[in-house]
Amino acid sequence: MVEPTDGVEAGPVRRTRDTLPLYAIAAAVTVLVLAPLARPGYALVYDMVFVPRQPLTWDLVAPAQSLPRAVPMDALVSLVTQLVPGWVVQRLALAGAVFLAAVGAGRLVPTERRAVRLFAALAYAWTPYLAERLLLGQWGLLLAYAALPWLVRAALDLRAGRAGALARVVLAAAPAAITPTGGLIALGTVLVLASDRMRAPRSLLVSQRMHPHRSRQALAAVGVLNAPWVVAALVTGAGGSSDPAGVAAFAARAENWAGPLVALAGTGGIWSAQATPASRATPLVPVATVVLLILAGVGAGLLRRRLPAGGAVRLAVLAGIGCLLAALGVLPGGDAMLRWAVVHLPGAGLLRDGQKFLAPYALLLVVCAALGAERLVARVDREVAGVVLVGLLFLPVAVLPDLAFGGAGRLRPVSYPAEWQRVAEHIEEEPGEILSLPLSAYRAYPWNPGRVVLDPAPRYLPGTVLTDDTLRVGDAVVAGENPRVREMRRALAEGRPVRTTGVRWVLVQHEVSGEVDDAEVLGGLERVHDGPFLTLYRNPETVPQPGGSGPARLAVVAALTAALLVVIAAAVSALHRRATAW
Amino acid sequence: MRRALTLVVSGLVAALLGILALGGISAAATATDEEAASKAKLVSEAAKRAGKKDPYAPAVYGDR
Repeated sequence: MVEPTDGVEAGPVRRTRDTLPLYAIAAAVTVLVLAPLARPGYALVYDMVFVPRQPLTWDLVAPAQSLPRAVPMDALVSLVTQLVPGWVVQRLALAGAVFLAAVGAGRLVPTERRAVRLFAALAYAWTPYLAERLLLGQWGLLLAYAALPWLVRAALDLRAGRAGALARVVLAAAPAAITPTGGLIALGTVLVLASDRMRAPRSLLVSQRMHPHRSRQALAAVGVLNAPWVVAALVTGAGGSSDPAGVAAFAARAENWAGPLVALAGTGGIWSAQATPASRATPLVPVATVVLLILAGVGAGLLRRRLPAGGAVRLAVLAGIGCLLAALGVLPGGDAMLRWAVVHLPGAGLLRDGQKFLAPYALLLVVCAALGAERLVARVDREVAGVVLVGLLFLPVAVLPDLAFGGAGRLRPVSYPAEWQRVAEHIEEEPGEILSLPLSAYRAYPWNPGRVVLDPAPRYLPGTVLTDDTLRVGDAVVAGENPRVREMRRALAEGRPVRTTGVRWVLVQHEVSGEVDDAEVLGGLERVHDGPFLTLYRNPETVPQPGGSGPARLAVVAALTAALLVVIAAAVSALHRRATAW
Repeated sequence: MRRALTLVVSGLVAALLGILALGGISAAATATDEEAASKAKLVSEAAKRAGKKDPYAPAVYGDR
């Protein structure tokens, strides 16, 4: 067996005979997971909201009063849906995430055995992490998960001095950086894997063309990719701190008898019971986790030998940091530290739901387990090896079969009632602030049965939509940060009529929880639309007012432009080097 | 003898995993919209009986 030490590439994987099965298995997994999306409509579940044409409003580009949790993701979706319908964008994003995750992991494994690559591809695209984040609707984070193996490979190549690696680092980090969490994971990956301080010995460099500042350039470029949400966080009126009640609410959760740490070891452990596939509660799941960990332990040595010197250690450090962040909320003293951090350190609220940082660990686990499988089958004869590899290919699916078909039916496309479009048209004619009532961040609509989804109004309607940002997790209430929403909540609690609050429009959603006291709250408003699901009122006391730009928002646009320019420059550079890089 | 035993055992384990995987996929494939909705309803009712907040209530992001 050849044990390459000068790069991630172990063999000529680009030959059709080698790559075709990898792409085929990635395509099969994608189809199997997202099959229900073959039906028309929009899959609306928890944080996943797509609309036919998302307006390009200032509040989606740079939220003035709330934390930039979806910056620059919303701005990009708004731009793309001006050209392509939202349902197409949803399918491209989800299918791209699952497919690229599988192919990326398969290509990352330093092996010459095709079956080992296939195992890695399947195992990385069929993890509890992917399932749980998909069922929570966090598609932006899934893009970061899919980009991670490509980014790791590019960062290791950069460190090894391969030509074109810098451009690939930027291009792989770009989809990850559409959300703050993904951007941080990408930045951390480049920092740990390609930093100068731990540069590979000169004797190990593949190419002497590596510029001594390449890693710093990569860090700077990924930093620029993170600039949109960082600038948006600096200029928002929401402040930088979060409610510490979120630490306990979003801490890792035990999925079965084995506790939260074992759930995390198996790449699961998300805080939400509703986003956890039912199979994760099976008593034998921890046993499968232990099998995977043993396999990974067996393969760790092989990874260390086959990656460039220090590469495996850096990957382990990256995965370790991710694990620590994921487990912090359930470790003794960790929860107290987190509670302090989210109150006193601006932006530390990002760490509340720490399980999302488990992505690098999931990648390392899968790559090591794949190499462990290779070591295992190297000890037995060809026939037994084939049977063992087939069994291993079934293992991820056997442990988590209910990821198939959109989490066993949880992702089912539905159509918005036609009146949503009519309401959007009314508001477009007279732009202004919109209040969405009853105050609630999440909704359960009769036309989207059995599912809870983030209020689609902020993404459907052309204006700044005030919707509740309080999160209710079981009995816990996690306060939001938007000062304008807080003001509205107070006004409603005091029974003040909405017309005195300065909002231009009031959207009342029917057949959802909560009640709106018509006479008291809506007094003095003009009804302009009244449908079975929505009623729209105009406030005659407020003049139409398009959302202003202002220097703060222009700063976010400047950061977004800089990030786009970096990506374009990287794409042009990569295209020039196609023969060497991709 | 040892080789044959290894082959049989690994074959049985692989077959078991295959049955679990394919059986599970079949079950997931036949899950209908109505089943998903009624499952959510059952969870809601169980939560109400236990005096807990309904995790599928519109205002609730989720339950731990």
